[in-house]
Amino acid sequence: MNRIGVIFAAEFRRRMRSRPFLIGTVLGAVSIMLTTILPIVFSGVPEGTTRVVLVGEPVLTAEVKALIADDYTTVERLPRLDAIPTVEFLKAHHDAADVIILSRARDGLRARVYARDPSSFGSAFARRLGPLQVALATGLPVGDIKHHVIVPVSVRDAAGRFANVSSAKAAKGVAFLFIILLYVAILINAQVIMSSVAEEKTSRIAELLVATIDPAQLLTAKVLASGATGLIQLLVWVLFGALSSQIVIALAPHVEAIAHNSAASAISISPAEIAAFFAFFVIGYAQYSVLYAAAASLITRTEDLGAVAGPVLIPVLTGFIVAEFAVAYPENPWIAVCSQVPLLAPFVMFSRIAISSVPAWQIAASLAINLAAAVAFGLLAGRIYRVGLLLYGRLPSLRQVVIAMRG
Amino acid sequence: MRSLTLSHVARSFGEAVAVRDISLSVPAGTTFGLLGPNGAGKTTTMRMILGIIAPDGGRITWNDAPIDAAVRMRFGYLPEERGLYGKLRVREQIAYFGRLHGMRRPHDEEAARHWMGELGLEAYARLPCGELSKGNQQKVQFACAVVHAPELVILDEPFSGLDPANADVILHALRGLHAGGTTLILSTHQMWQIQEVCEQFCIIAGGTVRAGGTLDELRAAWPLRRIEVEPNASVLRDVLDAMPDLRASTMRTGNGVPSALVYDLPAEADVAAILRQLVAAGSVTRFERIEPTLQEIYARTTGAAP
Repeated sequence: MNRIGVIFAAEFRRRMRSRPFLIGTVLGAVSIMLTTILPIVFSGVPEGTTRVVLVGEPVLTAEVKALIADDYTTVERLPRLDAIPTVEFLKAHHDAADVIILSRARDGLRARVYARDPSSFGSAFARRLGPLQVALATGLPVGDIKHHVIVPVSVRDAAGRFANVSSAKAAKGVAFLFIILLYVAILINAQVIMSSVAEEKTSRIAELLVATIDPAQLLTAKVLASGATGLIQLLVWVLFGALSSQIVIALAPHVEAIAHNSAASAISISPAEIAAFFAFFVIGYAQYSVLYAAAASLITRTEDLGAVAGPVLIPVLTGFIVAEFAVAYPENPWIAVCSQVPLLAPFVMFSRIAISSVPAWQIAASLAINLAAAVAFGLLAGRIYRVGLLLYGRLPSLRQVVIAMRG
Repeated sequence: MRSLTLSHVARSFGEAVAVRDISLSVPAGTTFGLLGPNGAGKTTTMRMILGIIAPDGGRITWNDAPIDAAVRMRFGYLPEERGLYGKLRVREQIAYFGRLHGMRRPHDEEAARHWMGELGLEAYARLPCGELSKGNQQKVQFACAVVHAPELVILDEPFSGLDPANADVILHALRGLHAGGTTLILSTHQMWQIQEVCEQFCIIAGGTVRAGGTLDELRAAWPLRRIEVEPNASVLRDVLDAMPDLRASTMRTGNGVPSALVYDLPAEADVAAILRQLVAAGSVTRFERIEPTLQEIYARTTGAAP
């Protein structure tokens, strides 16, 4: 086995056993499961609906129940209340979120809502009751009016990319998911790779290692090991995500419809997009890994890790923020430029790919630029790493690092 | 015959000159002492031999060929600042450094076991290195430097921080390596140990070579000798003070006798004539011509002694 292989194997084993990796992987998996399953466990109703108690004339509450069925689950209908509803009342009535008291006024329907969380009571409720308001004013049946009041709207993607609105929304979700995955993976990896380099630097093992292996090879082995553990971590999270969705369907069969929608959305992710995801993930991971490793090689005390990590964190945060704008404005010229800029592009370009039709030449250019940048960062980081490992004492200034690299 | 040669090697860091001009040759199988005060350029020289840093000028060769990565695989290094993976077990750590130097399984494990036995580390084989005492950690570090049976081992302060018993263990191991034909380069400030184990020496200061050779060669080239005379009587001191070539020594006497008169004299001085004059002047109970020690030569060469 060559020396890169020896160091890769040792690094990989050490990382797989390291606390940050184990804790990060477990916490990530648990978070994914909790965020997926808990809403179903706690609410027991289909995702996106709210439990309500309707109070009023049976005719009114029956009509309202039918009209709001898409957004609200009516857990109980009562003809009247003896007192103003309290939180205890809500808990006692199927743990409802809101009590909606319906009454007739001279000019139509009135609704008074006692909400457990008033800030989350949606405006959709009033829109849903529109046909009933008209029916009460005109005396016509609600069923007839509904077709005249609610205009069927069909949304089509001008670029012909998405079949419907839910497909476009799912693509945005995928883009957000990618941004978050890359962001979390880079930050966890940063901690792991910096700790590893700092341990070797502060315990003076680095000098022994560079007497045996070229610093650039050492850096390569570390980045490869870090990338391998990162991909394993990602795989674990994806598996837990899939497992969670199966648990959700088992717990609440009515969610199956949503799952079908998700599956339909997933189909809209083409193999080319999956390849792009993988390519930009690996490139972004490599770019940041070498920079974090180089930064860590400059410290003598582990307390200084924060000081050297800060400058590298700036592009990570910038990329994360710009990528969120890219999801909203994928065709903006500035966003297009950012999708070519090294360190930002891994975040921004995939967001654009997921939600818009990016010209192939832009994707190719971004891949070429960022691959070249990853190599250039690797060479630069190798030089910093080479001198950084032997620099001891106070944290060197940028000027001192440049002088040492020239020397 | 394999040998290490440095020809006019130089290295600066910005404005600071670490190594000005060093030329030396280490024959194969020799145990070589590299001496010098702090900041003399010893560590920089060793790092250049190992390729950790590149020289600004000059040439370093092993067996008359430049030292490349493949050659460096056959070198071993014990740096002055010790470093081990604290969580890695002793046996795994030694075997890992064996693999880094090209050993394959199971030879790395066998070699690790051998060196644990040599250095008395068998009982700690399964312990993480971070749990060992400082002395035992240094022995593990030593094992990591030699596990792959290198042709050349460079040891920077191998005895620093070791108690006498552990220093003896390392000395014994060094003798074993020497007997096996390994070339050893040692740097230490502990003169009695380096004098005991090394065959050749190089004294550097200010980034240049000040003296070099075997101890006999260093002594032969040394311009001064010392005499010790007893008793410390004024009549004898008057005779010695009257001799133009003699000078009361500022060095402490070799045997630490406070009652002796101690004088430096040129190496070529006629000692018998001096003794005759002393005997003619008064009673002499002891007269001894003392060869310079390595400590003396080192101290005066580097300017550490007047």
